[in-house]
Amino acid sequence: MATIDGSTIIGESILISGSLNGDEDLTVRGRVEGTLTLTKTLVVEPTGVVKAEVQVKNCVIAGAIVGNVTATESVEITKEGRMVGDINAPRVIIVDGASFRGRIDMGEVDVEAERETRAVARVAAPAPARPTLRPAARPAPAKAAEPRHAEETVVAAKPPAPPAPVAMGAVKRKVIVKRK
Amino acid sequence: MAGIEKVPAPRSGAHTVIGSSIVIDGEISGDEDLVIQGTVKGRISLRESLFVEGSGVIEADIETANVEVSGQVTGNIAASDKVELKADCKVVGDIRAPRILIADGALFKGNVDMDVKETKGK
Repeated sequence: MATIDGSTIIGESILISGSLNGDEDLTVRGRVEGTLTLTKTLVVEPTGVVKAEVQVKNCVIAGAIVGNVTATESVEITKEGRMVGDINAPRVIIVDGASFRGRIDMGEVDVEAERETRAVARVAAPAPARPTLRPAARPAPAKAAEPRHAEETVVAAKPPAPPAPVAMGAVKRKVIVKRK
Repeated sequence: MAGIEKVPAPRSGAHTVIGSSIVIDGEISGDEDLVIQGTVKGRISLRESLFVEGSGVIEADIETANVEVSGQVTGNIAASDKVELKADCKVVGDIRAPRILIADGALFKGNVDMDVKETKGK
């Protein structure tokens, strides 16, 4: 019975209201209301509905979540996923077809350092793969730091770094909300 | 279907499992079998069977069709069919069910009421 140890499943007809804490993976096919705190991964399957303040390590949403989600690692909304609420996680993945309304906070992004890193990278090599995961943690490539390019680096730093597409979506929605 | 009753294997049919590191404080309700290996406080109401496994700890009132306890339960149990207290379980609370089985080795403190159908109007 390997499926039974170390993983919890909330079946389709089950409703849990209150607080749920745990140190193992949790799969929700039914409903959970209240607060949900895990040190591992929460998977909300297509039939699952979570109306709760969620605090987890990883969160995969294929069902519905209403409430704020704080993840220490990542939040992924799959193409069947629906979510209303704010996300706070260093990595947020929203795929085509997912529906989401709310704010996203991926943590402190050092914009200045980011610009320099990108500008230097642009001088060194044209448009490297966008560091979507943890941009701030990426050090400048060593071979780009040639002194005679200092002037050029400053010029190149002027255009603002384009924000990640996810963040753009979030800002756009926020503006719409404010207009009302 | 290998039907060996006392081995946990037949429970693979259960859709819902509350794992051993999970703590739920609140209410659980539903229409399917529920296996509890973790901790639940509050209230449980089901229309099917509840299995409290060895590692399971319940501080809740329980209302179901069947209950099978191998772990610890503190609270009142009302079952429309059967309550089974297995060896090594600890149960404190009142039990109301038409059929109640208490195995050798089970610890139980509380009232037992098997006269459910007759006193239903009360």
